Amino acid sequence: MKKLICYLGLFILILLASACNKEFDDYPEPSETLAGNVKDAGTKSNLQSEAGDRGIRLVLEELSWSSTPTPYYFFTMQDGTFRNTKIFKGNYRVSVEGPFVPLVQYDGSGQVTVDNRKTMDISGNTNVDFEVEPFLKVEWVGEPVYNSTDATITVQARFIRGTANTAFHANVTDVFLFVNPVSYVGNNNYDNKYSTQVNYDGTTGNDQLGQTVTLTTKDRIPGSRAFYLRVGARVDYGLKYYNYTTIKTINIP
Amino acid sequence: MKRKIFLLVIVCIIGQVSCTDLDIPPMNVIQDKDVFTTEGGIRIYMARCYSELPMEDFRYSPTRGTNHFWIINPTPANTGEALSRDLNGATAEQFNFWERAYPLIREANYFLQTMPSYAGSFPEADVNHWLGEARFIRAMTYMALAKRYGGVPIVDKVLNYPDQSIDELKIPRASEEAVYDFIADDLDFAYENMKPSSEIGRANKYTAAAFKSRAMLYAGSIAKYNQVQLFDGSQNRLCGIPATRANDYFKAAYDAAGLLDGHYSLYLKSWAASDKQAQMQNYIDLFFDETSPENILVKDYQYPETVHGYDAYNVPRQLMGGNGYSAEVNPTLNFVELFDGIPKKPDGTLQTLDAGGKYILYDNTLDLFANAEPRLRATVIVPGDMFKNQSIEIYRGIYTGSVTGGISRLLPEGSTSPYPSANIVSSANAQQTPYTLPDGSKKNPAGLSGVFTADGTCSVSGFSVRKYLDPERPTSEVLENRSDQTWIEMRYAEVLLNRAEAAYELYAAGQTGAGYQQEAFTLINRIRERAGADLLASVAALNNINIVRNERRKELGFENKIWWDLKRWRILDREQNGTIYRTLMPFYAAQAGKYFFDARPDERNSRYTFDTRWYYQEIPGSEISKSQNLIQNPGY
Repeated sequence: MKKLICYLGLFILILLASACNKEFDDYPEPSETLAGNVKDAGTKSNLQSEAGDRGIRLVLEELSWSSTPTPYYFFTMQDGTFRNTKIFKGNYRVSVEGPFVPLVQYDGSGQVTVDNRKTMDISGNTNVDFEVEPFLKVEWVGEPVYNSTDATITVQARFIRGTANTAFHANVTDVFLFVNPVSYVGNNNYDNKYSTQVNYDGTTGNDQLGQTVTLTTKDRIPGSRAFYLRVGARVDYGLKYYNYTTIKTINIP
Repeated sequence: MKRKIFLLVIVCIIGQVSCTDLDIPPMNVIQDKDVFTTEGGIRIYMARCYSELPMEDFRYSPTRGTNHFWIINPTPANTGEALSRDLNGATAEQFNFWERAYPLIREANYFLQTMPSYAGSFPEADVNHWLGEARFIRAMTYMALAKRYGGVPIVDKVLNYPDQSIDELKIPRASEEAVYDFIADDLDFAYENMKPSSEIGRANKYTAAAFKSRAMLYAGSIAKYNQVQLFDGSQNRLCGIPATRANDYFKAAYDAAGLLDGHYSLYLKSWAASDKQAQMQNYIDLFFDETSPENILVKDYQYPETVHGYDAYNVPRQLMGGNGYSAEVNPTLNFVELFDGIPKKPDGTLQTLDAGGKYILYDNTLDLFANAEPRLRATVIVPGDMFKNQSIEIYRGIYTGSVTGGISRLLPEGSTSPYPSANIVSSANAQQTPYTLPDGSKKNPAGLSGVFTADGTCSVSGFSVRKYLDPERPTSEVLENRSDQTWIEMRYAEVLLNRAEAAYELYAAGQTGAGYQQEAFTLINRIRERAGADLLASVAALNNINIVRNERRKELGFENKIWWDLKRWRILDREQNGTIYRTLMPFYAAQAGKYFFDARPDERNSRYTFDTRWYYQEIPGSEISKSQNLIQNPGY
């Protein structure tokens, strides 16, 4: 009996040992790098965005195997740069999606009228920049001001159309001052106790184009710390993502 | 030797007898011929289809899906109709509906394909009726798919593997327009081939027409209001419908709704003109009368076989049953303010202050609602209202401050801060410590049904839902899986509202003929008259689509339809945009011996933000892995 158990144990050990194999996979791990920027075609500066799935998204379609592959997505950082170091070597069609004039446009019947996607081989370090026309350009006017009497912050900003293509001149729906105690700030990450939103009905938002908009935080901002501020605005197009200003920091005394 | 031959003969005889065909269908599996040759068999087949039919009923929640027993994330708490302690923000559906829909479509297709070969056993009218019924079931399933995902693969016959290769079975998505046209085709067939009546719980030709009015209204709204577009490589628009089709669809909805004229009617059994009590009772009874002429398609429940827990989850706190659930659905003040008969400010919000900016005082909490529209009180339990012979006591706390010269606002208008602790006595939970009033008597700091500051099992909004709550069920039976009231999936009031909305959209689009504005006006007033609401004064007063839409919100509130309406109107991202819904908090002023009401944003600060991507839900990744021809909806 004891002998039998020993043999059985030995047998199982041999089985387990033979399963040990250093080859985890028969395909080399992805090691190519795709990096670059998404830029505003007008100003050539990086398009501001938010981290996560309501920001700017890269669409990679690997054409090496199929002409209609399932896309692979990843997101840019909130400053409009992207870098992915784990991409398989191959031939790709690369596109970006976000709050700007789409790179692929269709007419009413579904015919592609504009196609600005890029087809390229990705191998080693591949850099690519995209120049896009944002729906809105949102920019700071002056510096944020701390009002010590009622412990609020007042900022001024301005938004204008980022594209001359009137097909994308949808109504401006709202402008939002995002406030957050950490540097990741935007519609994905803000403190709604202080952040302020101004909604526009119908075409009233369009009247604010090019005007200086003044926004003041709500409630009393606590002192002795830094706050990160950003203004976002959006138009009533597609998935209604925000266009943003850069991030400004204010130290509350 | 003779004996051996004899034995051999016997063996041969036995062997001969046992010669029988062994290649027979398995006896323990029910065959087509067992099902499709008797009326009972077909009834069983249909019963299964109906039990799988996608309905957002008592057993549905956006987080857990259809036919689920545990419904504590109620749908109304996702639309602004209500607040709930267990659903505190906007959510998309979190279950895989796709994989539930296609098996049912297969069952319908199998029926459609198999039934004709057994048609000889039945009268032709019966066969046509059943074929229509299967097409109806398929159409309803496609509608449930289209309203979630947009264009989906159209499968109109039974798919077979391995007879067909995997590649053939990876059917790509059709355009959203094609899916709605397919639904319309099926329902037209059903209308033409079905009988005018059927047993309760099953469809007839008018049911098909009613659902066509709903489906076409959805399609028209998407054609008119949708912004999202998604094309595949061969010019099929998977998301969105060309705007030029909007009027076709609205016209189809309008016509389909008209087919029910004279066959169904609004429930008016105990209704009496200018008798608010009778109108309220009539509206409550409408949801419990099995013989209501308003019911077009219902889903019956019957204890103990098929049950749900609507009463257990939703009764007011003071009538809590043995499972410890209560008050999951608490109507918001935003919803209540839609109704007539309550004092309102010019902007439509509730008037709680007098001209001097001081709270108006009431002897009882119910006094505020003394002239309220009967439909409001039949839909919502307001503070102090009667339910199961009890006064449902709801107040937030006792105000102990001075009342001379009136009481000023406790907090500034719109403030999201918690109430100050000075001058207010409140209760954290149902274990209350009575407060001694100036006259020496004792009073609990909060009502028996809330509002408690730390325990969410109470009425968190100041209201409790009444619609569908069984007024007869004793508290000992207010348990999960014990309720069995009937769910009304389609009632005539919705058909009238579909028709009114389609008529108004046609009028707004400049379509002439048939007097669309007049028609919408008449229909809205029919609904309002039954509800006991203020009638529209004139045709010209119906000058805004929101009048039609708000009527729908009021009439169909808490029937799990509004979320889909808000989505097809494409207004939900505007409505839920960092939104905190409003509540009504009654207080007892100890020194005055009277109540006052404070309207405020939800004290729990539950914020609702609808993600615009959710207009087209995410196609489950597991389905795309199975069929790589499926193109994902935008943004996922």
